[in-house]
Amino acid sequence: MPLHHLSVPEAVAGTIAALLLLTQLALFRSVVLSELITLYAVQSLFVACICLDVGLVAGAWDLIALAILTFLFKVIALPIYMRRLMNGVSTRVEIPSKINVLLSLLIAAALVGIGCLTASQLPLKTGAFLPIADLATMLSIVFIGFLVAILRPNAFAQVIAFLTLENGVFFGAVTLAPGQPFVVGILVLFDVLVAVVVFAVLVRILVAIRSSAATAQLQELIG
Amino acid sequence: MILIIAMIAIPAALAIISIVVPSRISGPLTALGGLCTAACIIAADLGGASGVRAPDALSAIFLLPVAIIYGTVGLYTHWYVRAESPANSEGERYRREFLALTNAFACSEIIVPLLTNMGGLWVALETTTILSALLIRLQGTAAALEAAWKYILIASCGLAFGLVGVVLLYVAGIGPLGDHHIPQWSAYIGAAAHLNPDAVRLAFIFALIGFGTKMGLAPMHAWLPDAHGAGPTPTSAMLSGALLSDALYAILRFAAIANLAVGHGLSHILFFVVGLISLFLAAFFLLQQRDIKRMLAYSSIEHMGVIACGLAFGAPLAVAGALLHAINHSASKSLAFFAAGRLTERYETREIAGIRGGIATLPVSGTLFALAGLSLAGLPPFGIFRSELMILGGGFQSGSWILAIVVALLLAVAFAGILRWVTTTSAGSAEGEIHRGERFGAAIYAMLLGFIVVLGLGLVVPPQLTQLLERAIAIVGQAS
Repeated sequence: MPLHHLSVPEAVAGTIAALLLLTQLALFRSVVLSELITLYAVQSLFVACICLDVGLVAGAWDLIALAILTFLFKVIALPIYMRRLMNGVSTRVEIPSKINVLLSLLIAAALVGIGCLTASQLPLKTGAFLPIADLATMLSIVFIGFLVAILRPNAFAQVIAFLTLENGVFFGAVTLAPGQPFVVGILVLFDVLVAVVVFAVLVRILVAIRSSAATAQLQELIG
Repeated sequence: MILIIAMIAIPAALAIISIVVPSRISGPLTALGGLCTAACIIAADLGGASGVRAPDALSAIFLLPVAIIYGTVGLYTHWYVRAESPANSEGERYRREFLALTNAFACSEIIVPLLTNMGGLWVALETTTILSALLIRLQGTAAALEAAWKYILIASCGLAFGLVGVVLLYVAGIGPLGDHHIPQWSAYIGAAAHLNPDAVRLAFIFALIGFGTKMGLAPMHAWLPDAHGAGPTPTSAMLSGALLSDALYAILRFAAIANLAVGHGLSHILFFVVGLISLFLAAFFLLQQRDIKRMLAYSSIEHMGVIACGLAFGAPLAVAGALLHAINHSASKSLAFFAAGRLTERYETREIAGIRGGIATLPVSGTLFALAGLSLAGLPPFGIFRSELMILGGGFQSGSWILAIVVALLLAVAFAGILRWVTTTSAGSAEGEIHRGERFGAAIYAMLLGFIVVLGLGLVVPPQLTQLLERAIAIVGQAS
């Protein structure tokens, strides 16, 4: 779609999609846990904004409500909870020497390419904003989130990777299929929150046993 | 409808009761509740004069593994929590937590096959992950923590892929079903011809990766040996016997839509790829395994691979065999885990090298372990033999001769591996001073009940189950 044909809400959606992807890529650059949490909060703010944008344009009260809930839970509550959880734990994230930041970014760039290529092969007619860019962004964020979880052997970083991965799917659900029933959106949000609580329980035990959140030490079960 | 409500309400109520009442009361209640729930499921599935009371035959089929598992796990848990925890207040807290989580986990496992709403299905599967991760870490060991962490991280990330599949399926349905449709399976089936084929293809691929992770299909299986090996024995049985089937159920719902919308080719190829990789990997890990519970976990990967291959063959006989295999595997695997749990408790080790003369030491549990092992290896007269034969027969019927032969060869390798550890652990006599003999109790009754199912399904398939299988094949849409 030529750029001059975009309406203001579509242009906003496109810009937010780009910002979402940038925050996801920035996860590789950061080696301090508090930065990762801030990045997650910022990314969640973008997701809440796009949810609000789509809700306002479509006049869908359920999406507006979902945007408010997303803001409350993901932008405010979860980051505060995770910062509290971090108290007394080393705030640096270990970066494996074999796959450094530069190489990670190159792999991530390749994954974005795969996401764009896949999306370009799918002529989706959804009536939603920027369908192709939406799909490409969703796939890229999911792939990169997965990569972060693999490449950062730290429990906090892995939880944040999972949460950003879920942000990507949430973004895709809102923009590609804005008509999805409200109840499903709420259930998914609730489920993710419960998952985070369980993650937190495990992280606490891990820190108590090992005095560190490094998951590289979890190598007992092999074969 | 009453039966459906009962099968959800009983474990849900028991989960709450277990938190508030002492375990000496909630333990027997869980055993009774498990049996009652199993009876409700079987009555709802097979007993109705007007047919199935579950949403459809496919749901009914996948309720059966949960019925078998929960019916026996309830009984077994009654023994397990007392054997594995001290008789003090800390032990009581463990018992209450364990019983509450076990009942809640069973409840979530029952809900999954009852759902035909694709969004709801995802939520229910994620709930099973959360509850079972809590159960796995209950052991309190470093290994249990590691297993729980790997499990929840890999399964949750995998399920996020499944959620992408759900979103893409919704996108595929926007054209024919409207912008605000309910993501109901029947709606997609009805509009299959008009769904966006590209979106359906991608949705199926994501669903297979996502839910396949939960099902333990290679190469997404990394969590499975750890979680099944390090978790408490009843949890391992529930994970292996019922949860893998639940994930398979979700995949089959997607496969049914994909088969109708874009043809059978895509699902057949993908099922072959993951099925053969799973079989290959599991067969060779079975040969060199040293830990008795991890051995059973790899056997689960093997059997999930067999099921995937059965679905890939596509012939009605093979698909029926795959569905029946899910039930047979549940029965045999839970029995094997229960008996292995008794052996590891008596020998105080999970190392196969440390377990000798299982039959002489524990005459009932040891014998049942050997029989469960023979069943898992695929020997007659047990149910797995029948379903594997159906899958291979279906493979030849569909003309996939070479692939059927490859599957048969890999099954032979797995057979050798399983037979090796069955003879090693069961025959001879124990080294050192191991107490011999066992008293009859809840655990033995659970295993005997399980064994009756394992043997019964091998000797005869009830006509009601045959009817269910026939209807389920039509639903999966594989019958050509």
